[in-house]
Amino acid sequence: MQLRNRAAYGFLAPYLLIFAIFWIWPIISSFWMSFQNTRVNPWAFNPGMNWGRLFSDPAFYNALKNTMIILVIQVPVMITLATVIAVLLNSPLLKARGIFRFAFFAPVVVGEVAYAAVFRLMFNLDFGIINKLLNKIGIPSISWFAEAPFAMALLIIAVTWRWAGYNAIIILSGLQSIPEDVYEAATLDRVSKFKQFIYITLPLLRPVILFCVVLSIIGSMQLFTEPFLITNRGGPGGGTETLGLFLYRQGFASLNFGYASAIAYTMAGLAIVISLLNLWLGREPK
Amino acid sequence: MAELALKNVVKRFGNYEIIHNASLDVADGEFVVFVGPSGCGKSTLLRMIAGLETISGGEIHIGGTIVNDVEPADRGIAMVFQSYALYPHMTVEENLAFGLRMTGNPKKDTERRVQRVADILQIKELLNRRPRQLSGGQRQRVAIGRAIVREPQVFLFDEPLSNLDAELRVQMRVEIARLHKELGATMIYVTHDQTEAMTLADKIVVLRGGNIEQIGAPLDLYDNPANQFVAGFVGSPKMNFMSGAVIEAQGQTITVALSNQGNVPITLPVENFEPRIGEKVTLGIRPEHFFKAGQGDADLTIKVDVAEHLGNTSYVYANVSSGEQIIIEREESRNESNRDTLTVAIRASNVFLFDNTGNRIR
Amino acid sequence: MRSQSKSTFIRSVSLHALLIPLAIIWLFPLWMMFIFATMPDYGIFSPGVELLPSTHFFENVSNLQADTNFIRALMISIGVALIYTLLSVLLTSMAGWALARYHFLGKSVVVGIILGTITLPYFVVVIPQFIMVAREFKMANTWAALIVPPLFNSLGVLFMRQSFSMMPAELFDAARVEGVKEWQIFLRIALPLARPTMAALAIILFLASWNNYLWPLLINSRPDMMTAPVALGTLIGLTKVSWGGIMAGAVLLTAPILVIFVLLQRHFIAGIGAGAIK
Repeated sequence: MQLRNRAAYGFLAPYLLIFAIFWIWPIISSFWMSFQNTRVNPWAFNPGMNWGRLFSDPAFYNALKNTMIILVIQVPVMITLATVIAVLLNSPLLKARGIFRFAFFAPVVVGEVAYAAVFRLMFNLDFGIINKLLNKIGIPSISWFAEAPFAMALLIIAVTWRWAGYNAIIILSGLQSIPEDVYEAATLDRVSKFKQFIYITLPLLRPVILFCVVLSIIGSMQLFTEPFLITNRGGPGGGTETLGLFLYRQGFASLNFGYASAIAYTMAGLAIVISLLNLWLGREPK
Repeated sequence: MAELALKNVVKRFGNYEIIHNASLDVADGEFVVFVGPSGCGKSTLLRMIAGLETISGGEIHIGGTIVNDVEPADRGIAMVFQSYALYPHMTVEENLAFGLRMTGNPKKDTERRVQRVADILQIKELLNRRPRQLSGGQRQRVAIGRAIVREPQVFLFDEPLSNLDAELRVQMRVEIARLHKELGATMIYVTHDQTEAMTLADKIVVLRGGNIEQIGAPLDLYDNPANQFVAGFVGSPKMNFMSGAVIEAQGQTITVALSNQGNVPITLPVENFEPRIGEKVTLGIRPEHFFKAGQGDADLTIKVDVAEHLGNTSYVYANVSSGEQIIIEREESRNESNRDTLTVAIRASNVFLFDNTGNRIR
Repeated sequence: MRSQSKSTFIRSVSLHALLIPLAIIWLFPLWMMFIFATMPDYGIFSPGVELLPSTHFFENVSNLQADTNFIRALMISIGVALIYTLLSVLLTSMAGWALARYHFLGKSVVVGIILGTITLPYFVVVIPQFIMVAREFKMANTWAALIVPPLFNSLGVLFMRQSFSMMPAELFDAARVEGVKEWQIFLRIALPLARPTMAALAIILFLASWNNYLWPLLINSRPDMMTAPVALGTLIGLTKVSWGGIMAGAVLLTAPILVIFVLLQRHFIAGIGAGAIK
């Protein structure tokens, strides 16, 4: 009997080895590094150096500000859109369901590099299809890559396009787990479809939507590939530099590992706060 | 074939003890049924015998050897599970042979055993089907077949019929009884259904709250329950319990007034009981032990709530409002029980008596 | 009755009136990717609006091949994604099985650490991972560097654990009573029954590996060991490259995975939807 449970260690060991080496140890190591001066050889313990620099670094505040702007605008827009898409896709009246599902879910599988390339081309100032279409309806061309607010808007559009379907899938599976008889009972009580949505669907979806919100916040907080490739390394002039990109520049362009670790732990801190906030918001009402 | 013994067996989960010092002897070839309400520990005890749960204290012997630390497969047991536990991705034939194949049993022998089981259970034509293509009764047969294939010394059944509908349950019950006769193996059978226990068992073990309340042959338990719990558990419909108080005691006879039945007095002979006047007791009387008024030692006038007529017999449910329902089985007349009140007699010789902790006085 | 069917009709029309434009907007970038990939560079940069495919796809592929050895990068990506998926499904199934079906010392600690760290940003580990693999193991620009470190992913463990713990316990007890060894129970009973879950997990893992960008960008920067996304990424932002070629590359990256998506949509959605099961 004891023997049987001992088999568990055998099943667990290979994964645990990888998990310890490539996940647990780096988490510890990175924390330790954030207190090191990594620009000297050997590294020296200097707790104030990276953290002190971080809080007085205008580039950090710029990256933090950009990340927050994206978060605050992109996440609510995307989650609202995803909920709308999920609810519409769940309608029994829908025809050609397969095509619509493909339209919204396909971007989920498209790689970041591929869609970055397309968006760069589509939003090009002179020959991009978007500006050409804008011109057709009388709007002058927008220089999406040269003006920071437009570059930010472009990032938000791109990320929303890519991830709305992903969240819609999760919300749709939440919708489908609501038992049909709840709606039948409400219909017999003469509750209108719209009121059913507000008073039945949304409250029951709350945990799923909260889950999507947290997932999206943590995802958007780590935004890297889009500003790296679409807006050309956080351009114009750092106008779309995110925390992820800032960390990449510090860690892998300047090879300042200690400072980059401090940035990483700032992101981790934000992620933890957001997760706890979710637990608090998601708790069962007493 | 083998005998089996439990000696002061204890099971603990952490600090919580769920089996308390269970001791039991099972003879070779005996059919023993563990019965009790859910949560009484009967399944845990069975799983300990199987080796699926560890033993926290005491010893389990199978065929004369202590098996506490023996792996399930080496205990000479086979088990039939409540959910059948058939492997859904294998055919019936693969289900039957899986264990033998995995443990390197010779191919020819495996084939021979599977064929034999298919013969015994008449499932030859099902061998190539998968469990989901079988009816409940057929699945049950295959599950039993998978146990037989192992040619075990002891068969263990964990509520094997509880997922079947009423009709199939009776049919499979008969089938299991036939198998026991045919194979002559020791069988231990867990159920919460006292009818199954009464019809199948050579010996019934009644459990409650992790304690063995009584061990005995079915009719012994019926005629001679050790306490109020066993008296209430064995027999269908249940024994009637009426609360009473001792109003008179003279040597070896006492008189009890039935507090919720209009304080009707009844005089009962007792042994080894020294009552206080006013002591609360409980009378037990089985539904079939009611007679026409005046033909017993005390007459009860009761208010009929519902009468059920089953053709050969009728059940009268009475006095529900007093909080102490009485069920009376009557064979004589179909009409009689439709009256509002009914007077029936009980005889002292049929009455069981329990003290207020449930121990039997007579 | 009539008024009800009329209101149903109105709801149906407004549903489609809302959904069709939205779907067109969503499909537009994908459509344009395929259009661009078939157009010559002078077509892409022409002042007109081109919304229909042209015929220059293979020309674009050879332009791309001239800019970077994209075919080789694709082969590396395919190999890495397949091996990674296989290993990861195996490791996470075994771990999920252990956590779902056994009681052992330290189990709650393991589960606690996995759950407690799952939302940590990847950036927290990427620097030490890079230092370890590139500097200490000296394994930059190898296949192992692409495949092994990402195996830490713990989502699969939770996914498989969930699947295994939903299977009836009696199934495994029945096998134990029959003397079947634990690893045989895992291989012969648990894994076959978990096949749908494994399929969903495999697709998600394959997709993650196929599209992975940051780690391969950091660790395999030598041109002959680049994965396809990294190779394509190096071209974006350069001036003297064929944009038709880049788009052809984007199509080569996207088309296979879209085909898989269409064929195995059910497993795909199950895999993503499973993220919501907590």
